[in-house]
Amino acid sequence: MKAIRVQQTGGPEVMQLIEAPLPQLKPNEALVKVTVAGVNSIDGQFRDGSLRTPLPFIPGQEGAGVVESVGSQAKLVKPGDRVAWSGTLGSYAEYVASPENHLVPVPASITDEQAAAAMMHGLTAHYLVNDAHKLKAGETALVHAAAGGVGLLVVELAHAMGARVIGTVSSEDKAALAREAGADEVIVFTRQDFEAEVKRLTEGKGVDVVYDGVGKATFEKNLNVMKLRGMLVLYGMSSGPVPPVDPARLSEKGSLYMARTTLAHFTATREELLARTSALFGMIAAGKLKIKIAKKYPLADAAEAHRDMESRKAGKLLLIP
Amino acid sequence: MQLVDLPIPEPKANEAVVKLAASGVNFIDVYNREGRYKVPLPFVLGQEGAGTVSAVGADVKSLKVGDHVAWSSVLGSYAEYAAVAADRLVPVPSGVTDQQAAGTMLQGMTAHYLAHDSFPLKRGQTALVHAAAGGVGLLLTQMAHNIGARVIATVSTEEKAKLAREAGADEVIFYTQTDFEAETKRLTYGKGVDVVYDSVGKTTFEKGLNILRPRGMMVLFGGSSGAVPPFDLIALSTKGSLFVTRPKLGDYIATRDELMERAEDVFGMIGAGKLKLRIEHIYPLAEVQRAHEELEGRKTTGKLLLIP
Repeated sequence: MKAIRVQQTGGPEVMQLIEAPLPQLKPNEALVKVTVAGVNSIDGQFRDGSLRTPLPFIPGQEGAGVVESVGSQAKLVKPGDRVAWSGTLGSYAEYVASPENHLVPVPASITDEQAAAAMMHGLTAHYLVNDAHKLKAGETALVHAAAGGVGLLVVELAHAMGARVIGTVSSEDKAALAREAGADEVIVFTRQDFEAEVKRLTEGKGVDVVYDGVGKATFEKNLNVMKLRGMLVLYGMSSGPVPPVDPARLSEKGSLYMARTTLAHFTATREELLARTSALFGMIAAGKLKIKIAKKYPLADAAEAHRDMESRKAGKLLLIP
Repeated sequence: MQLVDLPIPEPKANEAVVKLAASGVNFIDVYNREGRYKVPLPFVLGQEGAGTVSAVGADVKSLKVGDHVAWSSVLGSYAEYAAVAADRLVPVPSGVTDQQAAGTMLQGMTAHYLAHDSFPLKRGQTALVHAAAGGVGLLLTQMAHNIGARVIATVSTEEKAKLAREAGADEVIFYTQTDFEAETKRLTYGKGVDVVYDSVGKTTFEKGLNILRPRGMMVLFGGSSGAVPPFDLIALSTKGSLFVTRPKLGDYIATRDELMERAEDVFGMIGAGKLKLRIEHIYPLAEVQRAHEELEGRKTTGKLLLIP
């Protein structure tokens, strides 16, 4: 099979198209023919070595496809099933061996591309607004990087739940995307101070919740734009890690809450993974959640896809094996 | 701390003057006395009391002379009379004595917001309560137990263990003899607890994060062992997408409505016998020095009151 291999960590160029043997199945695994693989920032972190995995490896954590064969103890899926997954390394390939309990069924009403594109970003957006902080109608949410992969979906979901959404973006183009997704207010942080703007927009009251995948660059000001007892949900750190935090600051700033979350803890049981994906796929099928696919690349062009991702162009990128 | 004779305060337009029946003694009074928390000098100490309204300011409509009232978080309760902003006074219902009211305002309302708002405990959940035989700890243990939560309590002595069990603790860990991390894991079959209520701080915080279930909540509401140093947020992620809050009472009684609801709820529990206060030490106002010495010497359990 064709696959992308990383022999040594580094820049996008370390990803090479190779001919690899089909993966060997463990008893609880299924072999899936990959029709679409999603490109995520975590793939870049494995590629450049900031996240570690034994070398060499096939990158990619997310995809959709069709079950080809199953291991001797697999019971949850069968050959021919359309499935999607996230959190399984090796998706940049024509075939991947996945633990069967990572695979979720894809309904006929949505395409493989939609399913692959929705897994990491969509599930993340879903747990953010439903579980990390359960948004209520009438609450105000600040969404950083509101035109990013997760950000756009958080804006859409938050808007659909009846919350007031304030988004931050880096350019006018991205501001238009965030508005289309349902942001009530958009702050272009490259020319406006988001702290002052949020205070102005909330008449000094602050927001109920901040959804932040940016980290270091936004942290300090976040503490100043939350309501009494407000919640800061940190789900990523695209600008770098936040320096250690003195918990007394949460008290000084008004009995604040803070969480540092990762998707795995919100899809830890098979039940929760299925419930979350089925809710997500349902919204996509009903047209209530639009997954924007910015660009598709042949598998061989994985390096180009990573270059585009890292130059922070908006929207979801997919590889087609 | 010297006993002096002062004129009875005159109420400002929005104030009421209260003739005190009892004043609560709290650690915050020690910090104010020492200067750890700065207050302009000279000042009348004390942040908690109950008594009878003796005069009201021109703009005060909600109160009249003779009303039984209580308050917290306003300085000046170590006295026969105190002038207090009317919107900080809550009525004391007839089933609650002045001493009970004075003894419960700070610790009772603290326990109440911890169990009901910082982390709204539900039946069947498990809470770890540190210093469970302390003033807030005993009240929090009772409230958590009444909600139907399983309470794991940490205490230092056999006497305190007995108090925690009487308050409703299901399990008691002697943290001086047993590692509370290992013991909590054992008691929860490795699953961890839904919430940790921690007023100890420096010596317990890290291990507290290790015994939370995924997506569990650390409520850090004090630092009797010292302040928790700055910590790396990645710990919250690697230990299971954990939540942390560092609350203070003022933010949970910030509006008049919330203050009233919370006080009514706590007084209701006392009146119905569902919340038992341990008022163990009552001192005449003139013996305030002894009260502080005993509080600081950790010779007391339960609540200390001064009677003017």
